[in-house]
Amino acid sequence: MITFDHVSFSYPEVALPALHKVTLTLVESTFTLISGPSGAGKTTLLRCLNGLVPHFSGGVLTGRIRVGDLDPVALGPEVMCRHVGFVFQDPETQFVMDYVEDELAFALENAAMSRAEMRSRVGEVIELLDLGPLRHRSLATLSGGEKQRIAIAAALAFRPRVLVLDEPTSQLDPRSAREVLEALGRLNRDLGLTVILAEHRLERVLPFADRLVYLPAAEAPVVDGVPDEVLGQIDLVPPVTTLGKALGWSPLPVTVAEGRRFCEGMSVQGAEGPKPLPESARAEIRRKALGPQRGSQSPAGAPRQGRGRSDEAGPTLVAEGLSVAYDGKPVLTDVSLSLYPGQVTALLGRNGAGKSTLLKALVGLVPHQDGSVWLSGRETSGMAVADVCREVAYLPQDPNALLFAETVLEELHITLRNHGVTVAEVEPAPEALLETLGLLHKVTAYPRDLSVGERQRAALAAILVTQPSTVLLDEPTRGLDYDAKDRLLALMHRWRVEQRAVLLVTHDVELVAEAADRVVILDGGGIAAEGSPAELLGAPVFGDSEAANPFMPQMARLFPGSGWLTVADVLSGLRSSPVLSPPSPNPGGGES
Amino acid sequence: MHPLAWFAWLGTASLVTLLTRNPLYLVVLFVIFILVMDVERASQRAAADSSGYDSAPSDRGLPLSPLRFALFAVPAGAVFNLLTSHVGETVFFRLPAAIPLIGGALTAEALLYGAISGLVLVTLFTAFAVLNLALPVRDLIAYIPRAFYPVAIVSAIAVTFVPNTLRQFRQVREAQAIRGYKMHGWRDWLPLFLPVLVGGLERALQLAEAMTARGFGGGARTHLAPVARISLVAGLAGVLGAGVAQLTPTWASAAPAFLIAGALLMGAAIWHAGRGVQHTRYRRPVWHSMDTFVVVACGIAVVPFLIWAESRAYSPYPALAWPLFDLRLGGGLLGLMAPAFARRFSEQSDDHI
Repeated sequence: MITFDHVSFSYPEVALPALHKVTLTLVESTFTLISGPSGAGKTTLLRCLNGLVPHFSGGVLTGRIRVGDLDPVALGPEVMCRHVGFVFQDPETQFVMDYVEDELAFALENAAMSRAEMRSRVGEVIELLDLGPLRHRSLATLSGGEKQRIAIAAALAFRPRVLVLDEPTSQLDPRSAREVLEALGRLNRDLGLTVILAEHRLERVLPFADRLVYLPAAEAPVVDGVPDEVLGQIDLVPPVTTLGKALGWSPLPVTVAEGRRFCEGMSVQGAEGPKPLPESARAEIRRKALGPQRGSQSPAGAPRQGRGRSDEAGPTLVAEGLSVAYDGKPVLTDVSLSLYPGQVTALLGRNGAGKSTLLKALVGLVPHQDGSVWLSGRETSGMAVADVCREVAYLPQDPNALLFAETVLEELHITLRNHGVTVAEVEPAPEALLETLGLLHKVTAYPRDLSVGERQRAALAAILVTQPSTVLLDEPTRGLDYDAKDRLLALMHRWRVEQRAVLLVTHDVELVAEAADRVVILDGGGIAAEGSPAELLGAPVFGDSEAANPFMPQMARLFPGSGWLTVADVLSGLRSSPVLSPPSPNPGGGES
Repeated sequence: MHPLAWFAWLGTASLVTLLTRNPLYLVVLFVIFILVMDVERASQRAAADSSGYDSAPSDRGLPLSPLRFALFAVPAGAVFNLLTSHVGETVFFRLPAAIPLIGGALTAEALLYGAISGLVLVTLFTAFAVLNLALPVRDLIAYIPRAFYPVAIVSAIAVTFVPNTLRQFRQVREAQAIRGYKMHGWRDWLPLFLPVLVGGLERALQLAEAMTARGFGGGARTHLAPVARISLVAGLAGVLGAGVAQLTPTWASAAPAFLIAGALLMGAAIWHAGRGVQHTRYRRPVWHSMDTFVVVACGIAVVPFLIWAESRAYSPYPALAWPLFDLRLGGGLLGLMAPAFARRFSEQSDDHI
């Protein structure tokens, strides 16, 4: 049993407490998901379990914490590391050695364990996490998912009873994230290991979790229990639960599998939206680009801009037959892409498919060996990156790199100065831009002190101040909570109205379902498919089984072939479909 | 290859480089080191390729390639010596003697001597670069005295941080370009340092936290026992005393004794302190016949340099002269190619398995 008894904690020189009188009991051998908005104290709570708070962080802690019968505050991380394994968000920053096996043995060497004992333990974790093929590899050659599994194995080398993970999948693509979570699920089931994991993307983790703890932002009490009970009490929940709430399903479905039991008797024939495509049509999609032909509605209810209208305006940014190679190794091969005003294009693909390279090549940060890039009808070869970026706003994966001024407002002024533009020349003025981004109260704040979502918006402000015609976003939802994601979504809708072209690189298929007008799938450096979201996310394009399309959002998996991608799609589809009667709750399945 | 065989190679390579000022031998050494490095890099790349994952080029790359360093260091050494050393018979022209430091005759001998000094530096740098490429971090750490274990870990991290910092530097430079920042001169680079510094500190803190969470630093003893402290201070005094003794005619003969006694006392203190560090090693490197081959080959390279001292010596002063090339010495240097042969041989035997 792990208990928090009226635990409060404040970081040094910070007035507001990070944890306020938290009382909580976590049951051993369960898989507990900790969720809550940014700044609610999830990270702090996790670090209390192994004594990093307060031993590493400093600060004032009151109340009582027990992990079994151990007191992490009294014992500190040096002792607690043998009982509580810890895995951090970024696999890159937690490795000391350069080879897998050495990394696994690092903590054991520090503990002066005998060589025989070390060998047996390293062998054990390699077996547990199925790392045999990676054993002798250099860490630099591993993929993100593999690195995170190594980090988990390294944390398990001491045979702890509890494994704590702080957003371990936030940097991973859906498939790698599933690999990591499945490994955790196995450890929990087979060994009875207590897994405590913090994550923003509930839909990813809920299928594996049997307890859910919700830490609210304010000083409200912690909500804790089995997932469907907790989800019933909070607002920000995964799409399948939102739908369950809207349709009055009980018990509330937490996963798509649970949701399906309510849908078994439902017929979606007659519902609007494209049907599953025959193989010939899918092959056609793979071959050539298709414009969006989606009949669905955006959440705001306004019809999305089709490409037909944007076509009249002509594309703002065009890549033609772009090929890029690093050190002679091809990364992109013959990629052609056009971005139209008023259209949000989502670029999907696995880690390492070349998505970020494509964005960099579009603005000229990476030279291309073949092909060309055209900006508003002008070829960009020979143009400085700085000049391209006056018209093309590019937000890199880590927005921190963009921020270096003393205040948020100063960031905007620096960009203007760099481009030789005076504040009076821009419309809207920097302050007005910050207001639309919800940062007006932060104009004088030090940018690196802001929350993740705020930092990202400050970086966006710094690149949007020149009023660019095109916006390129590289994984903008990494580390964002539902609230920050909603703000980003609202921004994208605004850009669409303002007739900006948006290219969105993301692993977040729910965001794509909500925001995109067109989807491009990149695989192995080339465009594998291009089409409307309903066509590419609504049905299994890359094979016959649903599992063969990792890009299907929850609603598409719940109603395969319906063309519905979001909860709003489903609700409006159900309303307009006369053949559908409201489904009766049927958790047992098969009767209605 | 066994780490100790690598250390033997590095020791020989550095010794030979430092023993000679003959530019012909130095060029041969430089070429040999570059070749060894190339073989090492190629085999590492092949290993990464066969692992099937499309990785970026070697992450433990150097901040500066030896060839590029040579392009800078050799001319820089030559020009510096030309301007500051006014010895030699082949005078290009004379600067007014009134100009401090650079005033006087500018000679071809000084130019050549400076270039040779630059070449020595570049050759040494390359030898160390080979070791950095060839040995994994664990082997670099494993042979540092246990008393310095925490320091060793920190240095190892510093080594692995260099490429990270370079990557981050590139990221920040890109980020600045995105925001319309154009770089014309060196002053324009200044705004890049702050974000790199701040980012580096943030990452250092994250790593420190991750290491703490894995129990690092828990067992390390931070205080030396009184005996060890006294021994360390006495040892330092002995070494300093040796330096002072050297300057006084009556004590000069005792200087070596002071030096040895001081070194022994310091060694003992470090050994004693090392006993307090709780730490074991996961790997025990295995000594193969190839390692013996490398060590023997290193001996073949160094022994001629020790025996025929007059053949290795060269000085451009007082007047330019063509350096001699003694085949006994030059041929022996080929022994330093041994790691490349060892690597090729072990790859071939791997293929047969």
